[in-house]
Amino acid sequence: MAEGGDAEWELCKENIQPLRRGRDISVLQEALTQHQDGFSSAIIRQRQSFETELRMYDGDDPLDVWDRYINWTEQTFPQGGKESNLTTLLERAATRFTEEKKYHNDPRYVDLWIKFNCSEPLDIYRYMQAQGIGDLQASFYIAWSEEYENQGSCRKADLVYQEGFKKFAEPQDKLTQFHKALQARVSRQVLMNAKEEDSDDEPKQLERMSLADLKHRGKKKAIVPVNRTGTAVKSLQLQGAPVLGNATNSRFVIFDENKFTDEGPSEPRFEPWAAPPSSSRAKENEQKLQKWCDYGHTVMAPPAAKPTFQPFVEESDQPPTMTPCKINPSVNTVLSARKPCREETPLKRLQERQQQQKETEPEKGQERSMYCKELLLSGATEFCFEELRAERYRQKMSQDDVKGQKNAVTTNMTLLNADLLLHSLCCLIPDTKSRKQYLYSGLDRT
Amino acid sequence: MSLFGTNTGFGTGGTGVFGSTTTDSHNPMKDVEVSSPPDDSISCLAFSPPTLPGNFLIGGSWANDVRCWEVQDNGQTVPKAQQMHTGPVLDACWSDDGSKVFTASCDKTAKMWDLNSNQAMQIAQLCYDRQLGQNTEGTLFWDTRSPNPMMSLQMPERCYCADVVYPMAVVATAERGLIVYHLENQPSEFRRIDSPLKHQHRCVAIFKDKQNKPTGFALGSIEGRVAIHYINPPNPAKDNFTFKCHRSNGTNTSTPQDIYAVNAISFHPVHGTLATVGSDGRFSFWDKDARTKLKTSEQLDQPITACCFNHNGNIFAYASSYDWSKVQI
Repeated sequence: MAEGGDAEWELCKENIQPLRRGRDISVLQEALTQHQDGFSSAIIRQRQSFETELRMYDGDDPLDVWDRYINWTEQTFPQGGKESNLTTLLERAATRFTEEKKYHNDPRYVDLWIKFNCSEPLDIYRYMQAQGIGDLQASFYIAWSEEYENQGSCRKADLVYQEGFKKFAEPQDKLTQFHKALQARVSRQVLMNAKEEDSDDEPKQLERMSLADLKHRGKKKAIVPVNRTGTAVKSLQLQGAPVLGNATNSRFVIFDENKFTDEGPSEPRFEPWAAPPSSSRAKENEQKLQKWCDYGHTVMAPPAAKPTFQPFVEESDQPPTMTPCKINPSVNTVLSARKPCREETPLKRLQERQQQQKETEPEKGQERSMYCKELLLSGATEFCFEELRAERYRQKMSQDDVKGQKNAVTTNMTLLNADLLLHSLCCLIPDTKSRKQYLYSGLDRT
Repeated sequence: MSLFGTNTGFGTGGTGVFGSTTTDSHNPMKDVEVSSPPDDSISCLAFSPPTLPGNFLIGGSWANDVRCWEVQDNGQTVPKAQQMHTGPVLDACWSDDGSKVFTASCDKTAKMWDLNSNQAMQIAQLCYDRQLGQNTEGTLFWDTRSPNPMMSLQMPERCYCADVVYPMAVVATAERGLIVYHLENQPSEFRRIDSPLKHQHRCVAIFKDKQNKPTGFALGSIEGRVAIHYINPPNPAKDNFTFKCHRSNGTNTSTPQDIYAVNAISFHPVHGTLATVGSDGRFSFWDKDARTKLKTSEQLDQPITACCFNHNGNIFAYASSYDWSKVQI
C-alpha cells in the first residue's frame, strides 16, 4: 500500500463505520476519494444497475442480488448515513423473504437480519427465533448472546448459547469457541469484582458534579437536580463499556449467579412469539374501526357555532411542529426546516405489514392497485413504468447486438479461412495468370 | 367527427384512437381512428399551435418513430411524414411557430425536425422553453443556437415527468419530488414543493389563470389520484385539493376498489377544464373550478397512454396502447 494512500484513509478514519467482516482497502480508498465531491456518476450507475437487477431477476436465488447490493452499499458508503439507503435496503430485504422458508437458515439471510438489527435488538432476536429465522445458525446465537452481554446480563447470554447447543446450530465449533470466550470473560470479571470488593469496603457513590445549574425552558419552574445519580448515569457508563472486562470497569456491577436463589421474573423465557412485539399488541379491549354512519347517523353533528369575536392568540402560541424559518426558503436551501416525523421503528413497520397481509387475505382490502406495485417499489428507490420498459428494451437490444456480433465473427472466420486457402493455393502456383483465376474460383467456392 | 361532449360548458368533439388491435372494445365510442398508427405503444401526442393553419398531430412511440398526421375538418387523418430515432421516443412538442417539432428519445438524443424540409437533425440543442430532458438526473435547458446546453440544473432524483408553459416549468421526479422553475431571463429553480400526493408521480400539466399566465399545475399519481396545486394561492388550505379518478366503481365494501395509474393530463385551451387518461382504459373530463366530473368515457380494452387537445379545443386525441403497468417478467 502506498504511503499517500495510507495517509488518506487515516484522515477520514473517524467517518468509517466498522463492519463485522472488515473492509476492502482498495474499495475504501476509492469510496473516500469519491465522496469528497458528492456522488460520482459511477456510483449512481452502479446503484441503478443493482436496482434494475433486483427487478429483472429471473433465477431461483433472488437473495443473491440483494446480498451483493447490500455488500456493495456497505463498502461504497463507509460513512453510512441516509444517502447510503442501507437501512431501507436491509429492511426491504429482510421483510421480503420472511415468507420464504428456504432462506430462513441461509447464512446470508441471517447475516442480513443481524445487520438490520439496530434499534431494539432483543425484540428482533426473539422475533427471529419465533419465526425460525437463523435458529440453526451459530452466528445468530452469537449475535444474540453478545447483545445480552453488552447489556450486562451474562447469565442470559449463557442461556442463549445453551439454546444454540440444544438446536445443534451450525457450525458447532464456532459456537463452542465463542461460548468458551464468554465463559472466560465472565469468570475474569467475577474474579476482578471479588478483588475490588476486598480492597475498598464502601463503594464510591456514583455522582456527577455539574459546573452550573441547568436552565429551564417554558413556564414550568422545574429544576434539574445538580447531582445526578442512579440509572441515568449508570446506563451512560454501560453504553461505553467494552465487551472485554478490564480494570476500568470497577463500577460495573456484575450479577453473581451464585447468590441468585429464586427464579424471578427476569428469567428469560423462550416462548414463541406470534408476531413481533409492540405496544399495540399489549392493548386489550381494543375496538375495531367501524363505519360510524352505519348506525343511523346520516347527518354530521353541526359544527360548534363560531364565536363572533376574534379570540386572542398569543404570538408565541403557535404549534411547535416546525422550526421558525426567517430566511425565505426559496432563496436559502442550505438550512431547511425539519419536518416532524412519525416515530416508528422498523420492527413496528414489519409488524404492521404482516398484520395488513393477514387482514387483507380473508377480507380483501378496500383498494387494490392495478399495476405492478411490488416491482416498482422493490429496491431502495422507486422505478416508473418507463424505466422498467426501457430496461427490457435495452436488454433486447443488447441481445440482438450480441447475436449480430456473433454473426459478424462467424463471417470473419469464413473469410479468414478463404484467405488461408487462397494463400496455400498461391504458394502452389507460381504463374500469375492462373493464380488470379484461382483466386476468383477460390472466392466462388467459399 | 363523433361528438360526445354534449355538455355545453365543455364543447369538445373527440377524434382519434390509435387502435392497434381489432377487437370489439378497442373503440367502444366509435371515435375516428387515426390511419396508419405506430407499431408500438404511443408515448406522447401533440397538436400543432394556432400559428399553423389546419390541425396537425404528432405522436411519438416505443417503435422509435415520430409520425405526423393532418387532421382534416371531417375528422379524417392523412399521414404526412415520419422520422426515426434509434431508441423509443419519450416526448415530442412543437415550436411556437409550428415549423419544427422537437423530440426526445431513449437514445439519449433530442432532435429538431423541420417539417418544411422534412429534415431531422440530431441537435445537442433544444429550445429551452420547450423541452426538458426526461429520465435524467439533471435538467438541461437548451438554446437552439448553441451546441452546448445553455444551462444544466442538478436535480435530486430522476425526472419522471415535466411540463412547460413559459415562463414556468414543473418537473416531477422520483421519490415524490416536485420542482418549479422560473424561465424568464436565466432559468432558475423557483421552489421545491412537498408533494400533495402519497404515491409515485406519473404526469404533470400546467394550467393558466384568466390572464393566460401559468398559475398552477395538476399532478397525477400512479394510484388514481390527481392534485390541483396553485403556486401562489390566496388560501392554500382551500384552493389546493386532490381528487380520486380512474378507479373501479367498487365503492361498496364487498369488492375491493381497483386503482389505476393516471397516465396523462391535458388542459382545455379555452375553458380551462382538464382531461385525464388512465391505465383503466378510460378518459375523463373534469372542471377543476367547480370541482365536478364532466364526463367519463367507455372503457377501452387497453390503457390510454397519452392525450391532447388541439389549439382551439375542438379536437381531443387520445392514444390507446399498452403502458407497461402489468409487466410480465
